[in-house]
Amino acid sequence: MKELLNELLKEDKAFIHIPYGNGLFDIYKSVVITWIVIGILFLLILFLTRDFKVHNISKRQAAVESFVMWIRGVTGGMLGDEGVRYQDYMAVVLIFIAASNMVGLFGVTPPTMDLTVTAGLSLMSIILVEGAGLRKKGLGKWFKGFAEPMPVIAPMNILELAIRPLSLCMRLFGNILGATVIMELIKHVVPIIFPALLSVYFDIFDGAIQAYVFVFLTSLYIKEAVE
Amino acid sequence: MLNISLLSVGCTIFNLLLLFFVAKKFLFGRVDAILVKRMEEVDQATSEADEAERQALSTKKEYEDKIASIDVEKENILADIKKQGYEEYERIIGDAKKKGEQIITEARHNAEVENERAKEVYAAQLTDMVIDAASKIAATKHSSEDDKKLYDKFIIEAGVNNE
Amino acid sequence: MNLTAIGAAIAAFTGIGAGIGIGLATAKATDAVARQPEADGKIMKLLLLGCALAEATAIYGFVVAIMIILFS
Repeated sequence: MKELLNELLKEDKAFIHIPYGNGLFDIYKSVVITWIVIGILFLLILFLTRDFKVHNISKRQAAVESFVMWIRGVTGGMLGDEGVRYQDYMAVVLIFIAASNMVGLFGVTPPTMDLTVTAGLSLMSIILVEGAGLRKKGLGKWFKGFAEPMPVIAPMNILELAIRPLSLCMRLFGNILGATVIMELIKHVVPIIFPALLSVYFDIFDGAIQAYVFVFLTSLYIKEAVE
Repeated sequence: MLNISLLSVGCTIFNLLLLFFVAKKFLFGRVDAILVKRMEEVDQATSEADEAERQALSTKKEYEDKIASIDVEKENILADIKKQGYEEYERIIGDAKKKGEQIITEARHNAEVENERAKEVYAAQLTDMVIDAASKIAATKHSSEDDKKLYDKFIIEAGVNNE
Repeated sequence: MNLTAIGAAIAAFTGIGAGIGIGLATAKATDAVARQPEADGKIMKLLLLGCALAEATAIYGFVVAIMIILFS
């Protein structure tokens, strides 16, 4: 069993080695998988939004429209009235993370199982959160916001700048890693039928829930920042 | 397992932004364009329907006015016709009366003329009788007093006969 | 047998916290649904979210346990 885990977790992540910076600038396999995921999403979007019409809409167009309305309602509801302008970005993040998590269905290691991808996502999230706060309040008020509700906890607030993305990043990473490891172990023990049933929970349900949680927490932070 | 590559992080962020812009441009942009167009169309249709309704209402009012005025006109025309009819009736009746009166006067006149003629005939007969009597008297030769008495008596007799 | 197995077992104790948390959340959610059956959907959504967040602690423990086994 240890060999299995070793094979899964300690393999060389690098897709292209860059002989500079001691592996700090490698391009990882997970990034390549996200490229593939994004490429598929591109093609899907371009195919689905082909020749839209105002009247006599096809079933495809109706489905796309209602899907867009639905996902905007979901993210817009989480962001509240003040931050509703970020709903499209959050919807895209939701779609991307959900798609990345569900890649495991096709036997590919999910890219979100790699710390670099989740780190990038959470970095974008914290940039967006602080950017939204800065845009809403202006520079002076934004700086003053760190001393609220009282100046004593200013260090805590500054620490939160690091803790929030770290927690987002680690939560997603840990959940997907856990799900994948459990799936691998189950596949190792019972190779047929049983993994298919459990992958419904671990890949589809857990993947969607984790994507939702990531987006929900980011939306919560944005909502707090723009209030 | 926990090592991080800065370039990969950068690539992930770039990927995410690229996906966001593509989705924004194609997915959300296209859907928004369609929704905006549809909204405009609905607005236009609504305003057109309002306009049509207003026009229909104004036309209806016009017709109602016209119908109301037609009623009044009808009344007027009926009244006129009735009045004319009465006048005609009056005139005809009047004419008839006049004619009848004329006929009556004519008849009376004719009767009078007839009467006159009859009187003349009587008078002529009277004259004949007088002449006859005179000749009789002349033949008998009485006194003048007796003559006078005889004349009076005769005339009274003649008048009674004539009445 | 070395201490790494014991360390991994201790790390797996995070599951206790997660279990208690999810249990409490579910109990309260059941209560809420019993009180206001019309708010069913909203309560379900919040419950799922809370469960996912509480479950994350168990996942952390699990990840730590795996790391202890792998990197010792």
